[in-house]
Amino acid sequence: MIVVNTETLPGYEIVQSLGIVQGNVVRAKHMGRDIAASFKNIVGGELKGYTELLTEARRDASARMIAQAGELGADAVINVRFSTSAITQGAAELYVYGTAVKLSSSGSAQPKAAVEGIPPPLPVS
Amino acid sequence: MGELLIVLLYFGGPIILLAVAFFAGNSIAKKHNKRMEDRQQVVAHIRYTDLKRYIHPHTGSPPPELLCAEVTLGIDHFRGFLGKLKNIFGGEVISYQKTLDRARREAILQIIELAHAAGMNAVANLRVEFVDISGNANRTKKASMVTILAYGTGYCSKQDAQDPIAV
Repeated sequence: MIVVNTETLPGYEIVQSLGIVQGNVVRAKHMGRDIAASFKNIVGGELKGYTELLTEARRDASARMIAQAGELGADAVINVRFSTSAITQGAAELYVYGTAVKLSSSGSAQPKAAVEGIPPPLPVS
Repeated sequence: MGELLIVLLYFGGPIILLAVAFFAGNSIAKKHNKRMEDRQQVVAHIRYTDLKRYIHPHTGSPPPELLCAEVTLGIDHFRGFLGKLKNIFGGEVISYQKTLDRARREAILQIIELAHAAGMNAVANLRVEFVDISGNANRTKKASMVTILAYGTGYCSKQDAQDPIAV
């Protein structure tokens, strides 16, 4: 599955739009992380706990979106957008959405992990 | 003598904390900036734009792919204190601004490095977003931090960033 946040794909022709696919995740870190982060915050620097929190949330949300696109038999998801909201302290909602499309057969996409850590979906027959 | 001791006990702790935060925070920020400058040299050939279209893409190359990076930086105790002070009088809050700058730069640099690692030499439609995971919007939070989410599409271009282009 090709996942991009542009509207076109070089070398491919978009033949059919299958509509919007989306995935969302709300994640929180356990309290120990919050406490550790508040100590780290005295001197500043990267708060790795929260970076991880966001990375995990992004991966999960992308995986859901890609799974949905796979169900529709899409070759690619284009024009992907991320949106976040602050539900409560220490938790993050990550919402990712894009347009699932079919590509022309001449440029058939090689299944490839577009998002790091997510295995490529099974080819749709 | 006794009064002096009380004053010291009362103000000593916070002042020491501020001093530690000031020196440690400054050194962390400086080291980070230095590190980013070094890393930037390695990926200087990569072109990154926030244009929605591709610039001279290689059509026979591997397909473009979405690259994401997220960075959370804490605003140290001293800068937070300065920020609050500044808030009383209003005006430009440079201490927060610098941390935000650093976080954005780090996130963009990570995207470029991801592109480099994937064997690509260009990034299109680079977006940088602020994520509120601390609940700052509700003003219920003490520790302040900035979280940046950056994403873009990596692809192979026929031209490196040094080559001039007609946009």
